[in-house]
Amino acid sequence: MNLKLSLPEGAGEEEISGIVYSLPANLDRDNKLIDGHFCVTREKILIYLDGKRTAEYDIKDYKEFVCQQQIGSSMALGITHSGETVFFCSFTQEHFLRYAELLKILDYYVRTGEFTEETEGDEPSCPNCGMPLEGAKECVYCQSKGRTLVRLIKRIAPYKKHFIIAVICTVLSELVWVLLPYLDRYVIDKYVIPRYESWGGFIAIVITIIGLVLAAGVFEFINMKSSFKVALNLGRDIRQEVFEKSQSLSMSSASKRTAGEMINRISGDAAKLEDFITANGKDAIVKILSLVIIGILLFVMDWRLALMTVLPVPVVFIIVNKLFETMAVRYTKVWKYSTKHSETLHDILNGIRVVKTYGSEVKEVQRYTACSETWAKSCVRAEIMWYLTTPFSEFILTIGNFFVLYFGGNMVLGNDMSLGQLIQFTTYVAMLYEPIRWLIQIPRNLADVSVSAGKVFEILDEESDVRDIDDPVDLDIKGDIEFDGVYFGYKVYNPVLKDISCRINQGEMIGIVGHSGVGKSTMINLIMRLYDCTQGEIRIDGVNIKNISQHSLRSQIGVVLQETFLFDGNVLENIAYAKPGATFEEVIRAAKIANAHDFITKLPDGYNTRVGNKGYQLSGGERQRIAIARAILNDPKIIILDEATASLDTQTEKQIQEALGKLTKGRTTIAIAHRLSTLSSADRLIVLDKGRLAEFGTHTELMRSKGVYYKLVMAQRQTTKMKAV
Amino acid sequence: MNDMNKGDIEVYEVDKLNILDCKKLKFQKEASGYLTLDFDGKIYHKVNPTRLIPFYSKDTYISINYENDEKEFREIGVIRSLSELEDEQRELIVTYLEYKYHMPEITKVYSIKDNMRGAIFVKADTTSGQKTICIRDWYQNFRMRGYDYLYVNDADGNKYFCNDIHKLDKKSQQILEMYT
Repeated sequence: MNLKLSLPEGAGEEEISGIVYSLPANLDRDNKLIDGHFCVTREKILIYLDGKRTAEYDIKDYKEFVCQQQIGSSMALGITHSGETVFFCSFTQEHFLRYAELLKILDYYVRTGEFTEETEGDEPSCPNCGMPLEGAKECVYCQSKGRTLVRLIKRIAPYKKHFIIAVICTVLSELVWVLLPYLDRYVIDKYVIPRYESWGGFIAIVITIIGLVLAAGVFEFINMKSSFKVALNLGRDIRQEVFEKSQSLSMSSASKRTAGEMINRISGDAAKLEDFITANGKDAIVKILSLVIIGILLFVMDWRLALMTVLPVPVVFIIVNKLFETMAVRYTKVWKYSTKHSETLHDILNGIRVVKTYGSEVKEVQRYTACSETWAKSCVRAEIMWYLTTPFSEFILTIGNFFVLYFGGNMVLGNDMSLGQLIQFTTYVAMLYEPIRWLIQIPRNLADVSVSAGKVFEILDEESDVRDIDDPVDLDIKGDIEFDGVYFGYKVYNPVLKDISCRINQGEMIGIVGHSGVGKSTMINLIMRLYDCTQGEIRIDGVNIKNISQHSLRSQIGVVLQETFLFDGNVLENIAYAKPGATFEEVIRAAKIANAHDFITKLPDGYNTRVGNKGYQLSGGERQRIAIARAILNDPKIIILDEATASLDTQTEKQIQEALGKLTKGRTTIAIAHRLSTLSSADRLIVLDKGRLAEFGTHTELMRSKGVYYKLVMAQRQTTKMKAV
Repeated sequence: MNDMNKGDIEVYEVDKLNILDCKKLKFQKEASGYLTLDFDGKIYHKVNPTRLIPFYSKDTYISINYENDEKEFREIGVIRSLSELEDEQRELIVTYLEYKYHMPEITKVYSIKDNMRGAIFVKADTTSGQKTICIRDWYQNFRMRGYDYLYVNDADGNKYFCNDIHKLDKKSQQILEMYT
């Protein structure tokens, strides 16, 4: 990322030579645009306004640097060793990511004394169109359409046999259609006009025509069969690859996109590519070929008439494209209103209980009617426009035809051309318009499909940021975990965990406590290596987790979360999910330990009862016990409980606690719970405060030291008392 | 850090709307640009005035809040109207809010280019000068709120608005018509 965007004009050469980083600071304290700069040398931060230095700060006076977002603008701040906040400058949002990166470098500098001069990281936005790149190497909007298309075409390689068959068949059928007008001309000139009475030759020509039409039919059939095979296989390949990639991406990549967006890319975009290949793939070759062949034929037959047909085409091309653009805006409006209509419908029907309870049916009917009416009106407007422009564009596209008929007719009357030749000529002209129409549409289709292709390739090209090393260790985990100076933030400018160092012994039960958003779940995400820490090291049994194979690591960690997700399937499948090869007896044993066997037995179909989205409705406690059974089944060495009992009532929590007690016995356990009483069985507690490890010790020790934990316990006791009252 | 005795247990009545008596408020600007509030015998540092209805009103219903040492949100109360404040105090808050909410107003639209891939590029005059605003997913980020108010969120997170698009010149209105 370029962190030396522009230097203050007017500053002396000597001054400028010391500046390592310089970013525009383009807003003043009244939010007026200014020509300012935020410059960094190895010792100082310098602020410039109109080329003159207005302030300077010693970097060593600060312990932290913060990039704070406002509404529509941001500011760079520093926190001194005495805790005072100092304002450096403000800037508009397009510079935010650069400032975040620069302040991170300064932060690292004051922490470690190491000054980083070279910065990694991608450019935040496309230099061409200004759109944020969001980690992509190339802008999806500006990517060369040709290159994306070439990549798409290359994917046809495994099916080239079918593709070549399709192309050959299309060429052959096109040839048949080119040959037919010639036979028509022959029939007219030899048999119809001179009223030739010998039927022998005539019947032979008719049989040839029928034979050719049948042959064209056969060619088309083979062509369709082969091209569908290519397109459908290609679509399947792309869908599969995108899905596989989505599974192998790290959590940070996966959480960049919503589930809906991923589904859209796997189904929607892949389907678009599939359609494009079916409709346009081989067509591109054939249409261009037929354009050339028919064009040559026309010019050979009569170059003057041919010119009349071809000359208006470029003008027509421009006019028709303009008309299409106007149409596109109308149809975008229709699409926008139709989306709003379905959103409203979805909104009202989903909230039907609220509508009924508040008696606002009439109001909602009015809201829906207004929405529906706007949609209908926009449709009418677009359709009127369509029916006005389509005949017009069709007329000007085929305007050459009229010239051909007029001048060609005159030539027939003047005996310069036979009637058969004219008919052959006009048939070819009509045939020529088809590839031209296709060519007019192609920029729009290409634009559309290149976006889809760009989005698909963006995922396929993405490198997972959590990767196994070349030769990862398959570790037989015992359960010692060590955090050594760990820093981590989901966003570079906002570290969630800072300098965490602690050691968790094998078999110990550790509770992590702290306010919400303090980084408790982040800590366990790091243990599971769903993310890699930005600095420091996490070791399991003395081995850095980056050296352990992800599969080996995660297969030895059992997780029970607050929200248990059960897949669509039966109880047995859901428990066995953690260990696909488990025997039924192992599953029952796990269910028994999890206190789940009894209620499963009472279910209508026992272990075969369908659960999940559309299945039997289990209670929260029952789902949780299935999750515990799932965690036990694999005999994990490390157990993670993330608010495992938070959504349950006290009675159920007791049952679950009992099950958890059996699960965690002898295994290293890390538990997060808001209700501190849940962690009563923990050996030691990690207390997080503002992203740092504030305290680490047993409950008694921490209560005695009257620190953060003590305050938390006191505050919770008070709430409980208030609730009791 | 806000001035409170260490032993005090902070009582935060989350369910109580406290409409502030503007006569009792004494704001001061810190060197860092943040505001300090002296209210009811307590000093609050780094208070953060926030518009509760930024699209409807810029100077009524202003929440005065801060973050406590645990980084938890705490609201001191709500100012019903800035006009209730003394001139000098009002000036302080208005300046702060103008700084916090950087939303240039669109005053003229020259052209809108649609790249037919969900993004539009709006060339416009704004109160921060002429610029081409890149808007991604324009049907989400280039939206009318009500009949007159246009709200724009560009690809970088800059925000723009137009209070009443019907008061713009004819050509701007024609260009906007397709997209609003």
